[in-house]
Amino acid sequence: MRLLLWWGGRALSSAVTLLGISVLIFAALRLMPGGFAETILGPFATPEQKAELAARYGLDQSVLAQYGHWLAAFGTGDFGTSMISRQPVAAELAARLPVTAQLTLLAVAAAVLAGVPLGVVTAVRARPGGGGGAGRLLSGLGVSVPEFALGSLVVFVVSRYGLQTTGYLLPAAVLSIFAISATARTTRDAVLGVLVEQHITAAVARGETPWFIIRHHILRNAAGPVLTLTATITAYLLGGALIVEYLFNLPGIGSYVVQAVGRRDYAVVQAGVLLAAAVFIVMNVLVDLLVGLVDPRLGRRA
Amino acid sequence: MKKLRLDPLSLAGLACLLLLVLPALGSLVDAAGDPDAIVGPRLQPPGPGWWLGTDNLGRSVLPRVMEGVGTTLLLSSAAVLVTAALSAGFGVLAGYRGGYLNELIMRVVEVLYSFPAIVLAVLVAAVAGPGQLAALASIVLVTIPLMTRLVRAAAVAVAGRDYVTAAVISGARLPRVLGRHVLPNVAGTIAVQGTYALSVGISVEGGLSFLGFGVQPPQASLGVLIRQGGTYMMAAPWLIIGPGAVLVLAILSINVFGDGLRDRFEPRETRSLV
Repeated sequence: MRLLLWWGGRALSSAVTLLGISVLIFAALRLMPGGFAETILGPFATPEQKAELAARYGLDQSVLAQYGHWLAAFGTGDFGTSMISRQPVAAELAARLPVTAQLTLLAVAAAVLAGVPLGVVTAVRARPGGGGGAGRLLSGLGVSVPEFALGSLVVFVVSRYGLQTTGYLLPAAVLSIFAISATARTTRDAVLGVLVEQHITAAVARGETPWFIIRHHILRNAAGPVLTLTATITAYLLGGALIVEYLFNLPGIGSYVVQAVGRRDYAVVQAGVLLAAAVFIVMNVLVDLLVGLVDPRLGRRA
Repeated sequence: MKKLRLDPLSLAGLACLLLLVLPALGSLVDAAGDPDAIVGPRLQPPGPGWWLGTDNLGRSVLPRVMEGVGTTLLLSSAAVLVTAALSAGFGVLAGYRGGYLNELIMRVVEVLYSFPAIVLAVLVAAVAGPGQLAALASIVLVTIPLMTRLVRAAAVAVAGRDYVTAAVISGARLPRVLGRHVLPNVAGTIAVQGTYALSVGISVEGGLSFLGFGVQPPQASLGVLIRQGGTYMMAAPWLIIGPGAVLVLAILSINVFGDGLRDRFEPRETRSLV
């Protein structure tokens, strides 16, 4: 019962957060200088033309009324119509989803498959009293190279040596360097935290092999922070790997939304940002559920 | 005052950072040359007179990188100071008082946290207009959620300590309790998170300026330099290699220093399994 109440509260606060985001994004768009009328009609449009255009998209109503209409439509799954292309926003986003989804999937898979083992190995090999300078420096380097710097370098190398860029491998590789390093660091921290617990001492005393201890006593207990990080990375990448899309000319969701910001295509920006935030929040709730399943101690504490 | 002991790697990070910052602050920039002066032919590889090469206008890259480091670090540091002040205030208040205030602050923080960072930065730039102010505001908004959360968590732990209860019983008012008893004990968290926020800030400024929404040319920042260098990358790779290396070095030194600070403020026992 208490657990049910807790999840109810969680759902409620998520809804409040989403509402806050919708207000923020709506207000931000209305605060931006210039409007989409200028973008469509050009600088020589007459006030009458602008007024007609505004009326067509309901922009002549009060801001509060606009917000109400938008939110009500959004609730029924109608994300509105792009003011530039006149296509439904949902269809336009769906057309760009495969690019974003593949990039995300590749990067997250790399992060989990490479980052978790790296983190575990560096943790169980850590010597008491610090040390592990090389590993620390390497994973530190991985989280220190911004996407745009690494991406520029990769684009340079590829074009200089005439390499073929096949599919999403290279852009995903650029994204995954950070993801792998961050995952490795978090895994290492989590495992180090478990290693000093008494049940590990007991396992060592029973003469269990390190590999057995890792599989049976460490992985589950250290899973919490790693799962949370993986969810965060996934959600952020789904929201748009803007810079990598820009560098590699990929038609993903991130570049679509940013282009829409430039054109003041309100419906697209509103839907894109709100959906990205919703994905982020839902992922976080799901991962909390998952963490509770993998490590029941944490579920109960929540 | 306890002495702040750091391990060699963190000290190396700090030294490296100072090495990058000091020339930018001091008069050494003048010694390296005027960042806007045209010193030689266009797109020359590194050589005497232009140690990191020249750009598409024949300007020497070295003084431009120095100006860029200065701009980037100054902007990011200013932003992180704002973040630290706001996070400290809100985080301590939310953690100590709890209740509705806590709910409100945490909701606002979560709203900001749910935006993808670079999308948030682009939106800020669209509202405020591209420029330094947009970069600064973006860094603050991107770094504030995590820091406020962690400061709050630290404050919750401190709020239950005996010395805080003792202060309240002896009649200390809220500002005194927070300022004298809670804040000093979460200062370590603020320092550690501030360091990490600085590296995030540099990355955000770089990304935003790289997309053309941050610092505007002719002023140099590391992001601006890498953006401009990208155009002439094939003919003159030194245009991105120099600024890129400096950028990575700056972020890496800050992160390594932050790790050292964290080990110092939140020491843990460790053991090895093999």
